[in-house]
Amino acid sequence: MRIAEHIYREFAAVVGERYISDKEYILAGDRAKTPEYPMEYHSADIIVLPASTQEVVEIVKLCNKHKLSFIPFMTGALPYAYPNRDGTVIIHLKRMNRILEIDETDRYTVIEAGVRHIQLYPELRKRGLCYPPAAVGPGGSVLANMTSTDGSNHVQHGFSRANRYLLGAEVVTPEGEVLRVGSLQGDAGWFCPDGPGPSLRGIIKGYSGTHGQFGVITKIAVGLSAANGPAEIRSEGISPNHKVYMDHPYSRAYVFNYPHIQNVCDAMLALGEAEVCSTVQKYFYLPLTLMMTNSANEFWEKWEGGYKDTMNMPLVIHIAARTQKEFEYEEKILFEVAAETGGERLPPELENWWNEHMDYFMLVNRLQSVLRLGGGWMPNKIGADSVQHMCDVAEAMGEYIHEYTDTGKIFNAPESYQIIPMEYGHFAHIEVLFMWDRCKPGVMKGVGEFRARSRQEDIDRHFHSETPGSLMPATMDLGPLYSNYHLWLQRLKQSFDPNNVSNPMM
Amino acid sequence: MDKLSDLRFTMESCNHCGQCKWIMPAKMHGWDFSEMCPIHAFYHFDAYSGQGLLNIAWERLDGKLEYGDGLEDLIYSCTACGACDACCKVVRDMEVLDTIYALRADCAEHGTLPASLLETAEKVQTSHNIYGLPHAERFAWLPEDFEDDPDADTALFVGCSAYRQPEIALSAIRILKAGGVRFKLLREDEWCCGASLWRAGMVREAGELIRRNVETFRAHGIKTVITACAECFGSFRNGYPRFVETDYETLHISQVAAQLLEDGKLHLRQAEPLVVTYHDPCMLGRLSEKYVHWQGEIRAYGLHVPEKQWRRGEHGVYDAPRKILEAIPGVTLREMVRNKECNFCCGAPSAATDPELARWTGEERRREAAATGAETIVSACPFCREALDGDSGPDCVDLCVLLARRLCEEDVQ
Repeated sequence: MRIAEHIYREFAAVVGERYISDKEYILAGDRAKTPEYPMEYHSADIIVLPASTQEVVEIVKLCNKHKLSFIPFMTGALPYAYPNRDGTVIIHLKRMNRILEIDETDRYTVIEAGVRHIQLYPELRKRGLCYPPAAVGPGGSVLANMTSTDGSNHVQHGFSRANRYLLGAEVVTPEGEVLRVGSLQGDAGWFCPDGPGPSLRGIIKGYSGTHGQFGVITKIAVGLSAANGPAEIRSEGISPNHKVYMDHPYSRAYVFNYPHIQNVCDAMLALGEAEVCSTVQKYFYLPLTLMMTNSANEFWEKWEGGYKDTMNMPLVIHIAARTQKEFEYEEKILFEVAAETGGERLPPELENWWNEHMDYFMLVNRLQSVLRLGGGWMPNKIGADSVQHMCDVAEAMGEYIHEYTDTGKIFNAPESYQIIPMEYGHFAHIEVLFMWDRCKPGVMKGVGEFRARSRQEDIDRHFHSETPGSLMPATMDLGPLYSNYHLWLQRLKQSFDPNNVSNPMM
Repeated sequence: MDKLSDLRFTMESCNHCGQCKWIMPAKMHGWDFSEMCPIHAFYHFDAYSGQGLLNIAWERLDGKLEYGDGLEDLIYSCTACGACDACCKVVRDMEVLDTIYALRADCAEHGTLPASLLETAEKVQTSHNIYGLPHAERFAWLPEDFEDDPDADTALFVGCSAYRQPEIALSAIRILKAGGVRFKLLREDEWCCGASLWRAGMVREAGELIRRNVETFRAHGIKTVITACAECFGSFRNGYPRFVETDYETLHISQVAAQLLEDGKLHLRQAEPLVVTYHDPCMLGRLSEKYVHWQGEIRAYGLHVPEKQWRRGEHGVYDAPRKILEAIPGVTLREMVRNKECNFCCGAPSAATDPELARWTGEERRREAAATGAETIVSACPFCREALDGDSGPDCVDLCVLLARRLCEEDVQ
């Protein structure tokens, strides 16, 4: 037993014996290092599985009373969810998994923390509604993506970022007080996150917990959009060769390959200006090839067989129109823009992959295929600014990334970045998804060098493309560029969390 | 059988994406019936899942975790249904289920098997069946006037379920006879298939039994083994090649019957309308793919040299049972959400080691079946049939029993 028995008993009295454990093999389930973060984590002392906000409140109060850290936890796919010191309680929120309300008239849904994309999205689709799922895969927590990441997603050209769909939140503060954010505070409903009532959206979120969290978010409301297309999704085949169709006459995917990122930029801006297409994304060709193949061996065959050359700068488009006229109009504009900007349409066998995998546009499915090469991967930069700015960042990367790709420090795919415009080109997001051979001894040194170089180049070139991380070196480098945001957050954190028990990452 | 040390690449590759716990997106349906792993759905802790068991296996391999205090109970609460394995392999090149098997072998090697499994092993060794019933009674249900074909090179392997559900064996015989299939029974030479041994990690005991059974097939000149039990079927196809070179073909009775129907050799009579749903047995579906041992080198970025033949559940037996149901006059098939390679286990494999979990899993599956509006659950495995039979709601019937009941009388004569 890692903590005193009488303390354990207090926690057990809250959740019940069945939903608490300090057994080593139970703790082991949440403490393994992962290929992308191969450091040894501290073990949690206990794991608890509350079923209600009230139970979370009581757990948090006990943590304060006994000076134990706590971490709310869902999939554990990111390292921020792992303890960095002894004396930590993992609060697994998966039993809080109800969809509490779907309001079809006012178009919002209220959900608990444990609801996954694979559960919520099809439920909404049955009602002709949808939202932009974050690019985390079907098993990710909707709440975690909306509140604790930047909410970038693959349909943000037409939809915007996922966290813009956050309409309200119920938060258990680090000291165990229930805080209702926005209009919800006055029992006015879930319609607005910023008032009337306290607007604490930016504070509770931060990026990856901003030096530790501000408590536990237990419920949120998500704004919804109309879904163009059928309520039921048709699929065929047996895994891993499923095909998923969107049986709708005005839904179609297209892929163009471009000679240069500036051509892509011009196309994105033109499509945004015309306000056409549901999805526009310059996709990364390394993950794309992985998604299109079923094993590492097949990947290598296709990659070396030509995929890396024929679609090294792919622009993926999805049109989801409401009427024939609208569809024809959007397609006409798309073809004109492609012709003007030098886009070359991929052969049908490559383009059709998208039309046969519409679950990608709905759930960002198969994205986990990027882990297929052994699991050594990392998203880098992840910042956002204008479309042109993001393309400038990408082009500049070509001046230094070869030092790492050509020497085998990271996978040799120098143009494997994605740029996704949002809100019809008003903004864009960049993500460099790079990989490494995790079995190679000492490989993490080169990975670290590339990340540091990438960050430093952006600082030197006055690029706004790196997101402040939760690690001290990144914060020290980037903090001044963000008006010392991190220092403000530290002060807020101290005010909200005087015992520093809410995932004290620093 | 692989050892833990053979599976380090898998353990170290897991990124905790959670796909092992959730239904494949191609089958997305809604909030309900979206979980795939019975133990995770029941216990909720991550340790009870494919991902958690990989973590545990890794700590075991590195000597960081000791048995005792309930670890072995966790390992054997898992139904080894392979849902985690199939769901993971949509996007990854990992061997989740083989790691669970290796963990069990590690458990057995350290002498920490649950008592209920040791009892089963003893029964298999002494009585050649999992129930400990007299071996001499294995074919006691056989009609006195039954005649098989001693010269046939096809055997109907009845399996241990014959003791408790002889109607299934009798139905299989009626179907084969009606279709004019030449076959024989192994009678006193038929012993347990060994599924409960090899899937529990009892490598030595399983190996001895499997080698003996393969020798028996050879001694009888058997080239094709037909079985009406999914556990036997999956063992012959997926389990046996882990221990010994096999030189026989295995067919499930549903495959044989579907072919007989297609060839016009079976004739079915009209009957009352019946709405059914079909439960895919794990060992007939995603776990029945032939095992091909791989030995080689995993090079940079996961390249397997020589190329590995992955088992992802793609080539399980899914169509034949459905073709039969569609062919039976009056029967309407309604699919459950979790079907084919995304099947949700019936819970039977954990009945001895974690009865509470097994009961809950069976009830959860029955709830899903009831949601289709079906009056009857049809399965193709005696263990599933038993696990899915409840006091209220849909009843559960074995596929070949249902088919045999609908055969025209003149065919059965």
